[in-house]
Amino acid sequence: MSKRQKRFQVLSERPVNKDGFIKEWVEVGLVAMDSPYDPKPGIKIENGKVVELDGKPRQEFDMIDTWIADHCIDTKVAAEAMAIDSVEYARMLVDINVPRSRIVQMSVGMTPAKIVDVLKRMNMVELMMAMQKLRARRTPSIQAHVTNLKDTPALLAADAAEGAFRGFTELETPVGVGRYAPMNALSILVGSQIGRPGVLTQCAVEEALELTMGMRGLTAYAETVSVYGTEQVFVDGDDTPWSKAFLASAYASRGVKMRFTSGTGSEVQMGYAERKSMLYLEIRCVMLTKGAGVQGLQNGSISCIGVPGAVPSGIRAVLAENVATVLMDMEVASGNDQTFTHSPIRNTARMLMQFLPGTDFIFSGFSAVPNYDNMFAGSTHDTDDYDDYLVLQRDFQIDGGLRPVSEEDVIAVRNKAARALQEVFEELRLPPITDEEVEAVTYAHGSKDVPDRNVPEDLRAIDEFMKRGGNGLDVVRALAKHGFSDVAGAVLNMLKQKVSGDYLQTSAIFDDDFVVLSAVNDPNDYQGPGTGYRLEGERWEMLKNIPQAISPEDV
Amino acid sequence: MADEHMSKKVEDMIKAKGLAISPDRIADVVKQVMATMQGGPGDSSGGSASPKGGLDARKDYPLANKRPDLVQSASGLKLEDITLDKVVDGNLTFDDIKIKPETLEYQAQIAESAGRPRLAANLRRAAELTRIPDERVLEIYNALRPYRSTKQELLDLAGELESKYEASVCAALVREAAEVYEGRDRLRK
Amino acid sequence: MNISEEMVKQIIIEVLDQMHVTEGIGLNPDEDVPPVDMTETEEAKPGTDRNEVVIGVSPAFGNMMTKTIIGIPHREVLRELKAGIEEEGLHPRLVKVYRTADVGFIAHEVAKLSGSGIGIGILSRGTTVIHQKNLAPLQNLELFSQSPLVDLETFRSIGRNAAKYAKGESPSPVPVRNDPMARPRYQGLAALLHNKEVQSVDQGKKTMEISR
Repeated sequence: MSKRQKRFQVLSERPVNKDGFIKEWVEVGLVAMDSPYDPKPGIKIENGKVVELDGKPRQEFDMIDTWIADHCIDTKVAAEAMAIDSVEYARMLVDINVPRSRIVQMSVGMTPAKIVDVLKRMNMVELMMAMQKLRARRTPSIQAHVTNLKDTPALLAADAAEGAFRGFTELETPVGVGRYAPMNALSILVGSQIGRPGVLTQCAVEEALELTMGMRGLTAYAETVSVYGTEQVFVDGDDTPWSKAFLASAYASRGVKMRFTSGTGSEVQMGYAERKSMLYLEIRCVMLTKGAGVQGLQNGSISCIGVPGAVPSGIRAVLAENVATVLMDMEVASGNDQTFTHSPIRNTARMLMQFLPGTDFIFSGFSAVPNYDNMFAGSTHDTDDYDDYLVLQRDFQIDGGLRPVSEEDVIAVRNKAARALQEVFEELRLPPITDEEVEAVTYAHGSKDVPDRNVPEDLRAIDEFMKRGGNGLDVVRALAKHGFSDVAGAVLNMLKQKVSGDYLQTSAIFDDDFVVLSAVNDPNDYQGPGTGYRLEGERWEMLKNIPQAISPEDV
Repeated sequence: MADEHMSKKVEDMIKAKGLAISPDRIADVVKQVMATMQGGPGDSSGGSASPKGGLDARKDYPLANKRPDLVQSASGLKLEDITLDKVVDGNLTFDDIKIKPETLEYQAQIAESAGRPRLAANLRRAAELTRIPDERVLEIYNALRPYRSTKQELLDLAGELESKYEASVCAALVREAAEVYEGRDRLRK
Repeated sequence: MNISEEMVKQIIIEVLDQMHVTEGIGLNPDEDVPPVDMTETEEAKPGTDRNEVVIGVSPAFGNMMTKTIIGIPHREVLRELKAGIEEEGLHPRLVKVYRTADVGFIAHEVAKLSGSGIGIGILSRGTTVIHQKNLAPLQNLELFSQSPLVDLETFRSIGRNAAKYAKGESPSPVPVRNDPMARPRYQGLAALLHNKEVQSVDQGKKTMEISR
């Protein structure tokens, strides 16, 4: 075209047109929730054993089929569950008169293809209704990413403190450089307990190292335990359902909370989707997680969101996979944790899917740092979006998990976190954190505002700390010795949670007094208007009171 | 509200919807629902029955608050004995803040009573693993990863789990893996 | 799977077109980058030269596919990696891995082949890992997971750092780059490219030495 129509020219420059969109390509599984190669639902049981699953006889089972057949499917209810018409079951999911317990009892009698067949009959609003009704914990919550480009420890501590203070109940740190992991873990452990005692922390790294840090009490939970929907990709991820199930038990044996991670698009991204739809493969992940006896799952495409985000109905599939997780009576940490679009409109619309109904963790990584610092390659929302988020909560009277805070308070907790970590570093013989660093991180927007550290020296020191068996108690001791006994007490309290194991139950978080809140003592009881979690009372007073609102007395 | 009364109402509702589900099953489900719902004061009838005489999710959870008498660390300390003073004085080691297998069994019973048998099974495997040192746990995990072990090595591992650590449930899991890995060509070559 | 080369190409071009990736990054999808000479001599064996760093390329690298996701020709990628290693006085050795298209496993495999214990693994689209033989396969010394951000200068630094690790030094890691908008723009395309790469995987085929 030599002459452009001016409206089209403007449209072509809009952010949404910088996104990558691709047409469905079923031959490699680039299709969201309905591939012609997806199997038809079906099950055959002989002597209490599944002998045929979704049209495949046992002798042709791959590892994932075998795991699901032997560890997930409840053969006692399978006949009854599979006999329920898919539309009828989909209606039960949105029917306030059918209790949640009835639904989750039947779901474990179904096969992966059956679950897909149910979910693909539901539209967006119905899927949200199902989420509202089926999520495990009554109180919704939110998780954050705490990370920076330079892995600067004092900045991590300050950001963890601010994040915890603002209301995140779980904090996750990834690493820029892998060997920094234990130092990152230690930094957010200290920072989090200053922002709000009871906030859970984790460090996302390779499985064996992540487990080691959990065993040493440097982290309180784990999440980067990835599972995949095809055997080839599972093996490329260097695991099998058996190794992952063992790992799940290993975490619990040290009293550490843990969830698996999966998501639509990972199999096709890794090149082995076996022509199946992304949702079908994801349901296999959900069911194998259930079979492993893991309390929860992080899904919602996660790091592969650009893939379902690029195909038709892909974002709907993302909500459908979240719903599949709660349908299996597990905690869901529902994504919203990775950039997937240049368009602010698409970005917010995608977030509403989990924000409106509420999930166990609406975000499994709201970026509690500016996105340029986010070593998960950016989240959907970051620190610059805090006020928008608070206003959305206020507009809709929805509890998204964050609360309004004052600048003075945030400066105070950031500073305290940096100072506390400074002392811990000195006591643990880690390279010193300077006063200049403390000052910089207190007032920083991100890592661009803080001085560089000597990276090789940090890495050498943290390696030594790990080699000499450093653990959470060393941190407690260092804090107490240097006048931070309140923080020391909170870190010790976090370690004590591993003794009682209460937070190993489904969907567990802690309140400020370290009282556990889980699907066991805070079960979702939604059954229509007037039931379930409602933002009201003291909490609503707190959330509606944003500092920028003008009060009648002031004018 | 008594369970029987609730069952009747549910049965009527299900009939009205044209569904056919046996009254026994309805009664079961109602029992479960009542058991998992937060109980008000007048609601105690549904919760007293805990399966197999184990702990009850409604009455005993969280253990730290409702049954601190049951909780001890691996070294035998009670929660109230794990104090900051002891840490500072160097009178507390990491073994004093490790979970005990009995506690995992209690949590398994709570999971079961809340209707989560698979989670309970995982917690029972975990109880067995408390007896195994960190390094060995990591080694076993690595041995279960694809292409790491021969079939015999996995079977030997299962033997070790049973004889050395009394970990029969975990041993069964490893034996199962040995069979499946052989069939799927995922053993070390 | 039954996908013709032509079909893949067509779809990629269509995607590229929609993504406007030609703007500012020098990639012209219509321009064919010539293949690299990837003549295989023999099965790759563990080396004994403590001064070598092994570069392991993925199955489609250099011939089936010839440029990275942002259009850097593979011959230039290799030139920079080798130059970085040689700058530190060490010797690069090139092998091709067929049994996997997972960059972690490729890097780990070639680290085990390397006399120094240090290897570099690289995928056709540009994803790169520096690995050491005694680490777990999915651990790494340095990982460059965002292929659209790996440019020529980065490849040279990767070569240099790998050589420094091989000499027993602890270099400052190559500065990690981060672009939150790389995913929305490139992830769909990366998936297409990876599916193409995987078509060249041969799980039964040994890793091969490439002639210098």
